[in-house]
Amino acid sequence: MKIPSLKIGDLIVRYPVIQGGMGVSVSKASLASAVSRAGGLGVIASVGLGEEMDTSIPYLERSQQALAAEIRKVKEQGLAVGVNVMVALTTFGDMVKTCAKEGVDVLFAGAGLPLRLPEFAGDSNMKLVPIISSGRAADVICRSWFKKYSRFPDAIVVEGPMAGGHLGFKLNDLLDGTASDLDTLVKETLVVAEKYEQQAGRKIPVIAAGGVYSGADLARFLNMGASGVQMGTRFVATEECDVSEEYKQSYIDAKEDDVAVILSPVGLPARVIKTPFVEESFGAKQKFKCFYKCLITCDADKANYCIALALLNSYRGQLDEGFPMCGQNVTRIDKILSVEELIQELTGEAEPLLT
Amino acid sequence: MSLENRIAEIIVSRLNVKPEEVTDIANLKDDLGADSLDMVDLMMDLEDTFNLKISDEEGNTLQTVGSVVAFLKTKGIEA
Ligand SMILES: Cc1cc2nc3c(=O)[nH]c(=O)nc-3n(C[C@H](O)[C@H](O)[C@H](O)COP(=O)(O)O)c2cc1C
Repeated sequence: MKIPSLKIGDLIVRYPVIQGGMGVSVSKASLASAVSRAGGLGVIASVGLGEEMDTSIPYLERSQQALAAEIRKVKEQGLAVGVNVMVALTTFGDMVKTCAKEGVDVLFAGAGLPLRLPEFAGDSNMKLVPIISSGRAADVICRSWFKKYSRFPDAIVVEGPMAGGHLGFKLNDLLDGTASDLDTLVKETLVVAEKYEQQAGRKIPVIAAGGVYSGADLARFLNMGASGVQMGTRFVATEECDVSEEYKQSYIDAKEDDVAVILSPVGLPARVIKTPFVEESFGAKQKFKCFYKCLITCDADKANYCIALALLNSYRGQLDEGFPMCGQNVTRIDKILSVEELIQELTGEAEPLLT
Repeated sequence: MSLENRIAEIIVSRLNVKPEEVTDIANLKDDLGADSLDMVDLMMDLEDTFNLKISDEEGNTLQTVGSVVAFLKTKGIEA
């Protein structure tokens, strides 16, 4: 069977592969445009973007300017672009407004329940896609959006416990392996999506994320009824990914023992590569001054370190002053591909397996 | 049915708790085990049943069963 395209409202993505938004500065215009050009959907992560600019410009202003600049770099090439905005950001609503103004095609909202997202998006044609980690969360969002705004998500990303970045599970459930696996979560989210389909008058596409690695995985989720996949870790290991060589090399080098799940100052567990910085920051509190409160959920007086700075450092290649985030499958990465090669490999492998 | 009983019924079915647990002073999160998703659902259940709107600010003040009863009374709902 020919690999189906992904339809999110009136947007058609040739291959059902979304490159998940990755902060800080892991997925910017370079990666996102390469993915959209190769037939997938590229996504810029908004978090922390302004920090490479002149920091005398107020925090919100420089964040919005830097995001707008990245969006334009992709849009100027005539490509579709998504943006990922974390709900836990103090600037969530304002960043969503910037996306709407800049003509972003799809807005992905994770790390919290995006109950007010439709309000911030206004009447733009931007597609709204929550990222959730349980069927229950999908249900609450659908019910609440319909009640308050008479609309439904344009698609839903369901992210399982093997994912990179921040995770929507309890730390203990991740550590002792009792969090539901992605296959289970996709099935329960499909049930919710179907429940609201009639009211919505259309399909609500479900997209599987977290541990998707091969074309066989892509085929499995499509066969299960998902409309596509979102992948992070594999896109970090590409030539076009925006991070430093040191960051990419840490992916190639990573063994099972190098991967840890920590509780981040965001208030959620996060999967990371265990650099010396990670071990040091476990007990001791590192002195830092918070210049701008970027996260609703971070209490800078209690946090052991500034996560925005730690991630910015690792993006720049200073891995001893931060840590890369990664999915569980980082241990399988052994080389850097071009985005085109990766998309071709995935779709080529998946096609004969589709039922 | 009294207002108290109607509210108790909603809480019992949403949070899967026993009716006798739903006392006036019971805290929805700490005593009755509501998580953040349950709280959003519960507010919508109340809105649907009593045909009113509960703002986020109002919702945040509703911590105990008693506070829900009192809040609905201030909204003019008696039974
Ligand atoms: C380095 C890194 C940074 C990430 N940053 C974000 C982020 O800022 N916001 C978000 O919603 N998800 C973030 N994620 C999650 C990805 O978008 C994606 O859903 C996830 O990585 C999928 O799992 P996989 O890595 O196993 O493919 C991040 C993931 C990685 C690996």
